[in-house]
Amino acid sequence: MPVKTISYGELIPGYEFPPATYELSASLVSKYLKAVDSAGDGFVPPLAITACAIAAMTGSFSLPSGTIVIHASQELEFFKLVPIGATIECHIGVAQKITRGKMSILILEFEVLDKGKEKVQSGRATIALPT
Amino acid sequence: MLTEIQEGRALNSVVKHITQEKINLYAEASGDFNPIHLDESFAATTPLGGTIAHGMLNLAYVSEMMTSAFGRSWLSEGKLRAKFKEPARPGDTLTINGKIDCVEQKDDVSYANCSFECLNQKGETTVTGETIIKLSSDKE
Repeated sequence: MPVKTISYGELIPGYEFPPATYELSASLVSKYLKAVDSAGDGFVPPLAITACAIAAMTGSFSLPSGTIVIHASQELEFFKLVPIGATIECHIGVAQKITRGKMSILILEFEVLDKGKEKVQSGRATIALPT
Repeated sequence: MLTEIQEGRALNSVVKHITQEKINLYAEASGDFNPIHLDESFAATTPLGGTIAHGMLNLAYVSEMMTSAFGRSWLSEGKLRAKFKEPARPGDTLTINGKIDCVEQKDDVSYANCSFECLNQKGETTVTGETIIKLSSDKE
């Protein structure tokens, strides 16, 4: 998991977080499949990879105590299957930061690469933070 | 998997019951320990009034429906766009419905455009969205 080195207030569009690396081990995949109540098919479920990217995103910045984070929307594109045991790298950046009344909205973009630097997945998450 | 890809065809629905235990398991598996999902006493003090399931847990169920319908075509080259409308809470039973809206041909490749929605037991929509699946290339 990335270290929380930046506060929410310091995030600005264009900011890129340090890449986060995950090993998609058999135990991690098994834990994920149990959590989502699914049998699996020998590959890493793409949504398990997204979950890593989302966790990396939301774990990359610190929020004032008591702030809740609401996942408002999600876009995803898958490019290839990933075998169990593979290592992935999540690259995350701030696309937009908007304040609407008492709501702060953060749009984050991410790209997941495999060890060979081939794109595995990309996405865009909108998160809302009531202030 | 679907044997025929036809416009208007409904996908096999997925039904899942949400429990706090499942949410806790998902937090462990995903590394997302946001207290709104896990800390019942904290969540009760927020405008949401209690813990809620991770949005990505809802989408995992959508992905299960898409995988069941399209197999590897979904897993390796799918696209998804989702909006979270209402939170899913412990005790909710979610039904994920989907259908093929249209099949398009672009540069000799067929794509299925689908829509989906997740409904809770009260009939409230928790998530809506669209997916695109690359089906085949005529050149393959």
